[in-house]
Amino acid sequence: MKKSILMISLMLLAITAGGCATRGDLERVQSQEMQTSAKADQAARDAQAAKAAADAATLKADAAAARAENAQKMAEESQKLADEKAKLADEKAKLADEKAKRADNIFQHSMKK
Amino acid sequence: MRRDIDLSRLSSRLRLAVLYIAILSLLGCATTKSVHEEYKPVSKQLEEYIERNEFAVSKGDDVIGRLAFISLEKQDTLPDIARHFSLGINEVSAANPGVDVWVPEAGERIMLPLSFILPDAPRKGIVINLAAMRLFQFKGDSDSMAVLTYPVGVGTEERPSPTGQMYVERKAVRPTWHVPASIARDHRKKGDPLPASVLPGPQNPLGEYALYLSKTSYLIHGTNKPASIGLRATNGCIRLYPEDVKKLYESTPVKTPVSIVNQPYLLGRRDGVIYMEVHGPRENLDAVEFDRVYTRLRNIEKESGRTLDWSKIKQVMTEARGIPVPIFEIGQGSGKEVAETIELKHPLELYGRPKIPEMKTDAWSVLAADIPDEADAVRLAAIINHQGPQIPARVLSRDVSYRVIAGPFSDIREARDAIKRLKIDLEIDARLIEPVKKR
Repeated sequence: MKKSILMISLMLLAITAGGCATRGDLERVQSQEMQTSAKADQAARDAQAAKAAADAATLKADAAAARAENAQKMAEESQKLADEKAKLADEKAKLADEKAKRADNIFQHSMKK
Repeated sequence: MRRDIDLSRLSSRLRLAVLYIAILSLLGCATTKSVHEEYKPVSKQLEEYIERNEFAVSKGDDVIGRLAFISLEKQDTLPDIARHFSLGINEVSAANPGVDVWVPEAGERIMLPLSFILPDAPRKGIVINLAAMRLFQFKGDSDSMAVLTYPVGVGTEERPSPTGQMYVERKAVRPTWHVPASIARDHRKKGDPLPASVLPGPQNPLGEYALYLSKTSYLIHGTNKPASIGLRATNGCIRLYPEDVKKLYESTPVKTPVSIVNQPYLLGRRDGVIYMEVHGPRENLDAVEFDRVYTRLRNIEKESGRTLDWSKIKQVMTEARGIPVPIFEIGQGSGKEVAETIELKHPLELYGRPKIPEMKTDAWSVLAADIPDEADAVRLAAIINHQGPQIPARVLSRDVSYRVIAGPFSDIREARDAIKRLKIDLEIDARLIEPVKKR
């Protein structure tokens, strides 16, 4: 009898001790979960920030590309304009040359007796 | 502290080494001075003087004078620069292609081609090269020879100057011009009839001095159109600047031999270097003369045993700038050096530049043109100023255009005469401007 009672007591003690260990574990797990959750939140926030940054960078890149395209267009336009100006200047110079030549021919003719 | 090296103190081996280095450096100089080197001024110092007309001819040499450079100033024209330096307008224009004859840019640096290759003709009396439009007068003998040279105006394509041997038959101061029938006919056609003879004075195209050649009706004479020197504008005569014909007249006795040649390609030697000078325009270049110069070039190759730089020769011929260009060093490294060029200071006043009298409101004047472009107006005024005799002209700017005004004239007759000359010679329809009446 005594032996049985001792056995039951020992078992109860063991169960109690076992029950205590499970609660500690739970608390640890809970703390870990909280930490993980906080980390996840942080990661989500980071991801969001990264996405926002990426979005901003994309926008910036798009704006830069648009600007570059614009600049190229403008450069092409101004090149075209410069070409036209140069052509006009060439024509003007040619005309001036012709006028000068004509004047010189008349002068040379006037130098005869 | 300066320390002189005493060669005598050096050991013989060291002396030999010093001598060897000296020889090597000298050889280096000779090699770098290639005959193909372009003419460049060697000194930045501005010179005030350059020989224009009189040169000594070293024995065995055919090239005289030096090339020079000058920076133009505002209102300079190439004919004014040409006359001051006793050059023809053809010479200055050819040496400076692309430069506006009448309105060059102030500050523009131009070349004065005051170096010439003597024509391939006996060096006695007077030799005229029609292609170069230049007269050479030889003095002295082969041991001590000097040459005087002047630019000339020559005959047109229709009435070319003759070539060949002749001599000075007689000379005259203030000659009368007996108008040849052909010229009288031309003038009648233009509506400008001439008298049978023109007495000495500003209207006389012979100027103040004339040397009558043995070839009938050909003369070497002065001019009342100095801007025509360097042009093909005569009826076969040879024209000189008034200041040059005076010197030629005074130093040329009757019976002096005159040789007239037409040599567009000239080859000459100076200090062991062969030079080539080509006178354009290309369409006037003579095939016979080309063959002659080609044979001479081939002979140079044969004699030297070396090949000429034919691409350089081709370039000289194509450019036809009328200046002696070094093309070949006779003994490699033997040539002393290509003649130096100099940078000239612009003279305070250009000799012979037409003077423009002050405008007077109480005098007659003439409106020659009303032009929108300033350069065109300046050019026209310059051309009118360089007529012979001069018609003074200036540019007056308005709001939107530039007026070319000729004058002042002392009376209405003189003003009308200017209008007539502007019409006949320059195809300009000018209008008379009355004097402002005093109240």
